[in-house]
Amino acid sequence: MGEPPDGQPCAGVFARAWAKAVAGTSYLPMTHAQLELLLQRLTDLLAEALRAEPLDLRVGHKVADELVAAHIVSAEALGRTVEVIQLRLVRDLDLVSDDIEDRMARLLGAVATGYARALRDRTLDEQESIRRAAMTARVEAEQALRASEARFRHQANHDPLTDLPNRTLFAERLAAAVDGSAGSGRRVGLCFLDLDRFKRVNDSFGHQIGDRALVAAAQRLRRAVEPHLVARLGGDAFVVLVERSTGTGDVVAVAEAALAALSEPVVVDGHDVTVTASVGIVERRVAGTSPDDLMRAAGSTLHWAKSAGGAGWALYDAERDGREQARQELSAAIPAGLERGEFFLDYQPLTSLHDGSLLGVEALVRWRHPRLGVLRPDKFIGLAEETGLIVQLGGWVLAEACREAVGWTSTSGQPPYVSVNLAVRQVRRPGLVQEVRSLLRRTGLPPNRLQLEITESTMMTTSEEPVRALRALADLGIRIAIDDFGTGYSNLAYLRDLPVTELKVAGEFVRGLRTPEALADERILASLVSLAHALDLTVTAEGVETGGQAERLRAIGCDAGQGWHFGRPASPDHILARIR
Amino acid sequence: MYDYYLGGSHNFAVDRATARAMVAAVPQAPLMAQANRAFLRRAVQFLTDAGIRQFLDIGSGIPTVGNVHEIAQLHAPDSRVVYVDVDPVAVAHSREILAGNDRTAVIQEDLRQPDRILAHPDVRAMLDFSQPMAVLVVAVLHFVSDDDRPAEVLRTLRAALAPGSYLVLSQASDDGRDEAERAEAEEVYRRTDSPLWVRSRAELTGFFDGFELVEPGVVWVPQWRPETPESAEDAERAVFLGGVGRLGG
Ligand SMILES: C[S@@+](CC[C@H](N)C(=O)[O-])C[C@H]1O[C@@H](n2cnc3c(N)ncnc32)[C@H](O)[C@@H]1O
Repeated sequence: MGEPPDGQPCAGVFARAWAKAVAGTSYLPMTHAQLELLLQRLTDLLAEALRAEPLDLRVGHKVADELVAAHIVSAEALGRTVEVIQLRLVRDLDLVSDDIEDRMARLLGAVATGYARALRDRTLDEQESIRRAAMTARVEAEQALRASEARFRHQANHDPLTDLPNRTLFAERLAAAVDGSAGSGRRVGLCFLDLDRFKRVNDSFGHQIGDRALVAAAQRLRRAVEPHLVARLGGDAFVVLVERSTGTGDVVAVAEAALAALSEPVVVDGHDVTVTASVGIVERRVAGTSPDDLMRAAGSTLHWAKSAGGAGWALYDAERDGREQARQELSAAIPAGLERGEFFLDYQPLTSLHDGSLLGVEALVRWRHPRLGVLRPDKFIGLAEETGLIVQLGGWVLAEACREAVGWTSTSGQPPYVSVNLAVRQVRRPGLVQEVRSLLRRTGLPPNRLQLEITESTMMTTSEEPVRALRALADLGIRIAIDDFGTGYSNLAYLRDLPVTELKVAGEFVRGLRTPEALADERILASLVSLAHALDLTVTAEGVETGGQAERLRAIGCDAGQGWHFGRPASPDHILARIR
Repeated sequence: MYDYYLGGSHNFAVDRATARAMVAAVPQAPLMAQANRAFLRRAVQFLTDAGIRQFLDIGSGIPTVGNVHEIAQLHAPDSRVVYVDVDPVAVAHSREILAGNDRTAVIQEDLRQPDRILAHPDVRAMLDFSQPMAVLVVAVLHFVSDDDRPAEVLRTLRAALAPGSYLVLSQASDDGRDEAERAEAEEVYRRTDSPLWVRSRAELTGFFDGFELVEPGVVWVPQWRPETPESAEDAERAVFLGGVGRLGG
C-alpha cells in the first residue's frame, strides 16, 4: 500500500473500476485513495506482463499475493477481480496483440492460482494463530485456577493472621504421625505452647499491636522449631509436632528452643512487647496412643506449666495426671452422689473440760462411694470447693445435721448442739440467712442448738456482706465458731467486731502439749485462752488425743475438747446412746 | 465473529455459525463491522493528526488488520498503545501479534472496572496520564448493560485524563431501525453469550458528558469525516453510531 508518492497520485480508469469492484468485499485497512493507488501499481504490473515476451506467469502470482497481503481476501474479491480484468483491462489499456486472448487467459489463471494459494496460506496462518491464542488462554486460565485452588487449600489449612498451619492441618499431620501403620518403635512428641498473660498485651497496647506481636512470635516460633510443624490452634495457643522423636530429650530441646526464641522482646510500632510462654510437653511411643490422648495430655501438662508460674515447660507425668483425672471424676460424681443419697453424716463429740459432759457434736460428712467405698471429707471437700459444688453439698450437710439433731433429746438438761462447717462460698452467698432461718423453722431445731463453723479466712474480706450475714445469724441465737484458729492470721483484734461465740484452736497447738518441754506452746495457748475469755469467747481445743493433753488444757482454762481422747466421729446412734 | 465479518480467519466454527445466522437476519452485518472498523481507522488518523501519541483501546478485540497501533505508528511511529480486553483469547492473541513491539501493551481487564484499568501497572508504565491521550471504546459499549452504569464508567475514565485528551465511542444503535429487523437481530444475539444493548443517539451523546464533540458530532459511522461523499451514502445501514469528543482546558 504505502504512502502516495509526492505529486498528485492518479489512478487510471481501469484501476478505479477495479477498486470499486473489490471495495466492500472485506474490510480494507486503507483509504479508498490508497486502494486505488495500490491497484494502479498492480495494473501496471499486469499490463507490462501482457506486453512482455515471453509471458511471465509469476507476475500473476505476485499480483495475487499483494491483493491478499492488503487484506483483499474474499471469494467475491477474486471473482470480481477476474471479471474486471477480463472485461476491461485489454480495452482500457489498449493492449492489442494477436495472442492477447491466449496470454490473458494464462495470466488470469496465474492470478487465480496465486490468489487461492495465498488466501489458503493466510487462512491457515490465522487459524493457527487464533488456535494458539485459545490454547494459551486456556493454559493461563488453568494455571490461574490451579493457583487459586492452591490458594484455597492453603487458606483452608492455614491461620489467616500468622500464616501458620491451622488446627485442621495439624490434626491431619498428627493423625498421620500416630497412624497405626507406623513402625512399632516409633515415638512422637508434642509441645503445647501458650503465651503467658497475652491478654494483657492486647489490653495495654491494643489489638492491632497485639496481633502484630502474635505474628512476630509465630514467625520466631516457626524458625526456632524448624523442621517441625508448628500450628496455631487459636488465640495465643500453638502446638509443635515432633515426629520421629528419639526420646523426651528431643522434645524438651524443641520446647527450649521455642522458649528461647520468644524470650527476646518484640518491637512493634516502637513498643517493646515482651512475651513469655508456657509449654506442656508430651513424648511417648506411637503405639497405644491416639491424637486425642496426646492432645489431652499436652493440655493438662500445659496447665501444670502455667500454674507453676509460666515462662517454662513442664513434662507430662502419668501418675500426676492419673491423680488429677481421678479427682476430676470424683468431683463430677458429687451431684449424682447427692441425688442417690450416697452422703451421710458422722458426729464427733465436743466435750466439756469442766465436767466431761457432752456439749455438742461436730457433723462430719462421708461419702459412701459405690466403687471407692466410704470416703472421708479430705478426699472430696477440696474438690467441691474448687468447683463450687460445695454450696450444694454444704447445704445438704447443714439440712441433714439439723434434721437429725432435732430428734436428740436428753434426759439430763440440754441436748448437745450440732456444729456444722460452712465453706467460704456458702457464707458469701446472698441467700444464706434466709436458708438457715427457714431450715430452723422447717426442722424445729432451736437456734442455740446450731453452731456454724467458719474459717478465719472466710472473714478476711473487705466486703461487708459476710459479716452482716453472720451477725444476722448470731442474732437468731445461732452459735458462731472460728474453726482451725491459729493456722491463719489469728488476728484476735478483728474478733472483737465479729459476732463470734467460740474459738476452735487447731490441733497443732494441742499436739505440742504431749511433751513436758513444750512450754512455749503451752504459754501461747494459755494467753490465747485468756484473751478469748477476755473477749467473752469460749475455747474448744481440737485434736486432743491423750488424757495428759486434756489435763493440761483444763489447767490452762480451756472450755472444751474434741479429739480421739473424747471420741471418734461416729454414727448418730452412738451419739444418741451417749446422751441417754 | 467480528473478525469473520471483516474477512479474517481468526475465528472458530461457532463464531462462523452465529455470524452466518446473523447475516441471514441482518444482511448488512458484515458492512456494519467494516464501517465501524473504517470509522476507527479515520478516528485514529484524525487523532494522530491532532497530535495525540497515546492510545488506550478498551475492548480492542482480536487484532485482525487495521489495529490502532498500525494506523497510529504508520503516521507517528512514537505512538504508544495499550490494548484492553476481557476476552482471554483476544488478549493472548494480541500478545502474540504484538510481541517485540515495545510501544504497545496488552492487559486483560473489564471496561466495567475502569479503576482497575487505570491503576494497572502496565498501563501506568506505557501511558503518561499528565499528557493528553485518546481513550477508545469502539464497538464495545453495546456489550455493557445499563445496570453496569456505562455513564459512570466513562466519567471515571474522563477524570483520569489530562486536558486535551479525546474519547472515541461507537456502538450499535436502533435509531430509525425497523421493528422486525431489530427483534430478529436481538434474537440472534440473545442466543450468543453476548446480549446486545442498543442505544439511541441521545444516549450516546450523553456518554460524551464533559467532552466537546468534534465535528460532525454523533453520527452513523460512515458519516463521520468520510473520505468520499459516496462512502457516506445509506449511512444508517451501518447500524453503528459514533463520535469523537475532546476534553477541554
Ligand atoms: C466488536 S469487538 C471491537 C473491536 C475494536 N474495538 C473495533 O471496534 O474494531 C468488541 C470487543 O470488546 C470486548 N469486550 C466486550 N465486553 C467487554 C468489557 N466489558 N470490557 C472489555 N472488553 C469487552 C470483546 O471481548 C470484543 O473483543
